[in-house]
Amino acid sequence: MNWFAPDYLLYGSMITYLAAAIAAIIFYKHPHLCTQSAQAGCILASVLGAASAVRLLLSGQEKIILKPFESTIPYVSVSMTMDALSAFFLLILSVLTLCVSIYSIGYTAHYHGKRNVSLFHFLYSTFILSMLLVFTADNAVFFFMAWEIMAVLSYFLVVFESEQEENRQAGLLYIVMTHLGTAFLMIAFMLMFYYTETFDLSASSQHIPETGRNLMFLFFLIGFSTKAGVIPLHIWLPYAHPAAPGNISALMSGIMIKTAVYGLLRFVFLYLGVETPWWGAVILVIGMSSAVFGVLYAFIEQNIKKLLAYSSIENMGIIFIGLGIAFLAFARENHWVGALALTASLLHCFNHSLFKGGLFLGVGSIHYATHTKNMEKLGGLIKRMPVTAVFFLGSALSISALVPFNGFIGEWLTYQSIFASISSGNAALNIAYIVSVAVLALSGALAAACFIKLFGISFLGLPRSDHAAYAKEVPLAMNLGSGILAFLCLLFGLLPLIPLNLLSRVIASITGNGVVGQLQGGFLAAWYPLKISGNNNAVSPLLIFVSILLLAALALAMLRILGGSRRERKYGTWDCGFGSLTPRMQYSGTAFSKPMKIVFKIFFQSSRDLKLQGDHPYHPESMEYTITTESVFEKYIYIPLLVWVTAWSKRVKLMIQTGSVHTYLLYIFVAVLVLMLYNRIG
Amino acid sequence: MDSYFDLLSVLILLSSFILVSHKRIKSYIKTFRIQSALIALTAGIMGFHSLASEGSLDILLVCAIIILLKVIYIPRLLHKTYGNVEYKVEKDFFLNIPLLIIICCALVVFTYFSVSGISSLSADHINLQVVNSFSVILIGFFFMISRKKALGQMIGFLVIENGIFVTAMFSTHGMPFIVDIGIFIDMITAILIMGIMVVQINEKFESININKLRNLKG
Repeated sequence: MNWFAPDYLLYGSMITYLAAAIAAIIFYKHPHLCTQSAQAGCILASVLGAASAVRLLLSGQEKIILKPFESTIPYVSVSMTMDALSAFFLLILSVLTLCVSIYSIGYTAHYHGKRNVSLFHFLYSTFILSMLLVFTADNAVFFFMAWEIMAVLSYFLVVFESEQEENRQAGLLYIVMTHLGTAFLMIAFMLMFYYTETFDLSASSQHIPETGRNLMFLFFLIGFSTKAGVIPLHIWLPYAHPAAPGNISALMSGIMIKTAVYGLLRFVFLYLGVETPWWGAVILVIGMSSAVFGVLYAFIEQNIKKLLAYSSIENMGIIFIGLGIAFLAFARENHWVGALALTASLLHCFNHSLFKGGLFLGVGSIHYATHTKNMEKLGGLIKRMPVTAVFFLGSALSISALVPFNGFIGEWLTYQSIFASISSGNAALNIAYIVSVAVLALSGALAAACFIKLFGISFLGLPRSDHAAYAKEVPLAMNLGSGILAFLCLLFGLLPLIPLNLLSRVIASITGNGVVGQLQGGFLAAWYPLKISGNNNAVSPLLIFVSILLLAALALAMLRILGGSRRERKYGTWDCGFGSLTPRMQYSGTAFSKPMKIVFKIFFQSSRDLKLQGDHPYHPESMEYTITTESVFEKYIYIPLLVWVTAWSKRVKLMIQTGSVHTYLLYIFVAVLVLMLYNRIG
Repeated sequence: MDSYFDLLSVLILLSSFILVSHKRIKSYIKTFRIQSALIALTAGIMGFHSLASEGSLDILLVCAIIILLKVIYIPRLLHKTYGNVEYKVEKDFFLNIPLLIIICCALVVFTYFSVSGISSLSADHINLQVVNSFSVILIGFFFMISRKKALGQMIGFLVIENGIFVTAMFSTHGMPFIVDIGIFIDMITAILIMGIMVVQINEKFESININKLRNLKG
């Protein structure tokens, strides 16, 4: 018996997550022991999970089936299948969990003695386990159960710091939106059962007629998009992520919203099969709008966690663009481009979980050290928290898609897949592709600007408040967690073929042909350009990195040679003899985003108001300047909808609930009569 | 044997029609007592039959409990409650009596229409006993809706219960003893609670007209 076979490792991983949850309960009186045992369990479990996924991917085995026990309830079977796609997502989950759990050992220390740490760790480990089940469930009912468990547990984690009103409201919004999505999924699963009479995912979907397919696609799309947080179903995301504790935000943004991508691939791509081009077009349009609006809203945000949440919307948009291109290509029988786009999309999933996980952990560290999430109160943290700053910068560079980091590879492949999709004929589609390239470029540039703002305002300059001035470096475990993520970002950026080779097997197993063979450059031999056969686009991150280093060295050398031996002098900035310079005179985050606010005025509905007090406009006693921005989607879609639904419910409530016992009896009586009628003629 | 049951089921149905046609609460209680006695008679016949053929005492025991509870104890309880609350006479129903009777007839026809579709009940011919007893349930329910005063609802509830009991008896020829006992305990609890509630409603609203409960709506 091979104890290191993928199925034993997966069982081991699941049991260890459960053991971690139980350990959290057992040691509830000893917060330190509780944190350490639970997180150590999660670390071990994630290592086992990653090992299981990698072993499955490398072994070339098609899939493993786990059936821990038989269920006697009809249609419900507790059975799991891990194929290449599940394994890939399990790998993302495990890598992220590993780092976040290491981080949590330090991070949750600030809950000790103040909150129920035991509950937190219990929810934490079971939440991860529920995601693992989502990725491995192989029938719709079990998937649905795991999906719901995931939603409910994440709700409890979002409202963990529930004494704050805004957290409770964020949690409420989240649970309402996520159940809206779940409702659509439920309808889709019912349709699935209606047409095929089975919930088994490996069953064939041949007998579903065209209308049924289209309906199911729409329901799946709405259901999963709500979880993905793509625009216009995103409204829960910018509230829920900031409300959750730092490590939970990292998990939610890093992997939970990716369950939507998994769901779309599993249920639409693999189960329904892609035959209709408009499916891809719809996904593409959703992706484009999310990419642009997500980053625009991120750019004007001053709350650092909210900024990251909007940035997650943008990145889900990029992933959806890749998916849309892939769906379109497969519907048009263009398998090579489809596989390339799918590779790009899945790679970006992996990358996003690494750098967004790292960023959320970094922001969690900032919050841990300064107790504020408001960018305008930070500043100068690079001097006080140098290690955090370096890792944060690494992740920020990665998300801005700059070269030696992994974010670049994913976006580059997405661009390449779009370029490869453009072919002669079908002008409308070509225009859509070109627009999506433009959208991708725009959102990429804005994302870079956005993270310049985040890093520049928070870490550079002078502290804008006492919180930032007296910040201390966070514990080692926290830095270790975000450090591993930043290191992986750099590693996979320099050697992109490591994830691409794993991914190639996934793509090969779900589409029939992998693409890495055609992406030239052998395993680990990343200095060899990453080249797409068929056209001449190639890139070599390692070479670019080396040349950047060389250029920097050259620039320094030139400076030395030309500038001679000029001495460095450290002195305060000249203040024109006017008075001392204060941190308030620094460039602020609001000011940084001002130009963009003017350019994209229509999306922000921004308005400003200057109030002067005093007799003369040139010598005011005091000035007050306020800027307000509004979310267009909330103002024009959600709030009118909410008002209408509330008014309608009130009216109907008065009509149905008359207060008369006789009316209520009549309802029951009529129901009985209708049932009797149904018994006869139904 | 079957002809007795046919006759009894028709009589039970008739008693529920009589109930609907009454105007005074005292007459409701009287009719309910008669109906319960008829049910006890049915159970008694069935009980002797099963004692003779299988030697089991179960149904006879159930018959004794029916006599104790439904013929003696509950009507007395209702009388007592009535004595506590009723001190003025007012119109107790929404629709007039002939219209109520016609609706009840329609209910019986509807039940015939619906129940005749159940094939396992009517192998070769329609099981009229079940149709009749099922109609009793619906008429009891309809009685609850048509009466304004809370005592009417109590009696309607009891008639529904009677109907369910007879339907079960006619369709299975004797339910398991433990199920019957369970039902009786449920019923006695419900009636005790309702009796208390009626007194409370009377104290609060100075009437047992439950239409006044509308005022409680928030």
